[in-house]
Amino acid sequence: MPAYYLEIIVVLLGLAVLTFDAVGRVEDKRSLAGLGVLGLIVVFFLLFKTSKPADPGSVFWKFYATDALAFFFKGIAILTTIVVLLMANDFIPVLQRFGPPVEAKAHPQSGFAEFVALPLFLCAGLMWMASANHLVSIFVSLELVTVTFYVLVAYLRRHELSLEAGVKYLILGALSTGLLVYGLAWLYGATGALDLSGIEGALATTENPLPALFALAFILAAMAFKVGALPTAFWIPDVYQGAPTPVTALLAVGSKSAGFIVLMRLMTPFLKSELLSGKVVAVLAIMAVATLLYGNFAALLQSNVKRLLGYSSISHAGFLVLALASAPSHGGALETPATTVAFYLASYAITALLAFLVLSIVSAARHGDDLNSFRGLAKASPFLALLMLLSMASMAGVPLTIGFWGKFFVFQQAVFSRLWLPLGVAVIGAAAGFYYYFRLIFSMYLETATGADGNPLGKDTLTKIGAGSRIAMILLALAIIGFGFFPGSILALLR
Amino acid sequence: MNESLDNYLPVLLQILIAAGFAVATLIASALLGKRARRNEMKDSAYECGMLPIGEGQSRFSVKFYLVAMLFVLFDIEVVFLVPWAVVFKEAVASGATQFFYGMLGFVGVLFLAYLYALNKGALNWKES
Repeated sequence: MPAYYLEIIVVLLGLAVLTFDAVGRVEDKRSLAGLGVLGLIVVFFLLFKTSKPADPGSVFWKFYATDALAFFFKGIAILTTIVVLLMANDFIPVLQRFGPPVEAKAHPQSGFAEFVALPLFLCAGLMWMASANHLVSIFVSLELVTVTFYVLVAYLRRHELSLEAGVKYLILGALSTGLLVYGLAWLYGATGALDLSGIEGALATTENPLPALFALAFILAAMAFKVGALPTAFWIPDVYQGAPTPVTALLAVGSKSAGFIVLMRLMTPFLKSELLSGKVVAVLAIMAVATLLYGNFAALLQSNVKRLLGYSSISHAGFLVLALASAPSHGGALETPATTVAFYLASYAITALLAFLVLSIVSAARHGDDLNSFRGLAKASPFLALLMLLSMASMAGVPLTIGFWGKFFVFQQAVFSRLWLPLGVAVIGAAAGFYYYFRLIFSMYLETATGADGNPLGKDTLTKIGAGSRIAMILLALAIIGFGFFPGSILALLR
Repeated sequence: MNESLDNYLPVLLQILIAAGFAVATLIASALLGKRARRNEMKDSAYECGMLPIGEGQSRFSVKFYLVAMLFVLFDIEVVFLVPWAVVFKEAVASGATQFFYGMLGFVGVLFLAYLYALNKGALNWKES
């Protein structure tokens, strides 16, 4: 089966959900999410059954890469969407409170089918991004993802913060798209090629690097917006806080990982060109330092857990850009930079999805996502507190969790390429990370929560967790520990 | 200065002149102009005529937007269909059968979209 059938199947799945909802009069719409999850699980296993293209030289394969990296990131996109759909199932009460207004005669869960179908379309977009190999396919797949996010971020239509997030994301997203198109146009003008291998050839022999560097500035600014790195990361805390929690998870994990593979593919021609690579590395190193400083130090003062995770996602982007900056000199390192980035993103995906699953349940039960909602969680629900503990430990990079290996490989790369200043900042950032991640653990285990009436918050609805998300949480927790012991099994997928 | 960027020098000059003209005019009017007496009536948007009360734009039903969007959607379908239909005979004669299935997929997706819009009541003008 050719690889591009996978995306077609995912799109058809989204269409099927919409059609069933419109025509089929589904009684309990959670079954639509179930359909989506089952379909995606099938697609995930089909990922291993795809065949290599028979004729790699034909026109179509210029637009579509089928290397190991592409399949790895397709896998991340599919698994993320599965978890997000499971999260959406537990999110129905919040949607009913703040979502699209429901008329008297309409189905009480109306508006949920779209909340399932849109992540499916988004998943197809992320999968296309993983394979995008040509400026046109990069742009089209990126726009499919971004436009879908515009709708999803503002989905809680009767909630102020969600609307604010929607407007901010729309305006800044449109601006960054404009920057990207302008940069891509300059890149085409400078090299005369639209496919990345052609650009690589043109940049290798160019004598006048200025137009290409001009293009690079715009492309970097736009892609930094998508992956949440400075100079364009300021939208992240507000949008993460306002968006519905499942969408925040999708934004943090899916958008970031797919953005990074596109960024890697776009940077490769620049990093391979002898004339340009020095300058590009300098720019990337500066970006990494600024992102690490901003993300980690702003996170220190956050009292809202969603904003905290937002700033933490910025700091993770900083580590990833640092890995990218160490690209040209990977002669001595064990793992090439692409593998480092892919491993880090896989570890971040597993860790962050677990954190967002717990956050989604806690915030729905206690009607808030600030630090106070997490106080005394260990007494109210030891299960959720333990999972959050694991996730935070992995985010901070405690040894024998998967997060540790992600940071370890990045530091190793930086040492081999002698980026001492960024490495120093990264170490300080990781140390600051220990403070804010462990403050959350401290709140869960050593403090007691007080509600509005001054009494400690009880178990309330914390025990009502859907079976699907319960299984997902346990699997993710096992993955954090399991891959923490055997990181090689992920690396094996990348060869 | 680099040769390929040289061509853009007039554009840069144009931007500078445009911005400079605006700034210079503002500064000149601030420096040379007489200070006017200010009061609430003078600062209001209208000094004569109707009092500016109420919405700036009159409101109308969101249904218009919905219908307009659906119209654009199916209008674009025709934009794609016409050139396809024009070259259809030659393309099929030369053996490109995927030419047919490609458009079938496109129209199929739009058909599902139509079913969706119909069943969601997007085409019902009257309040149900």
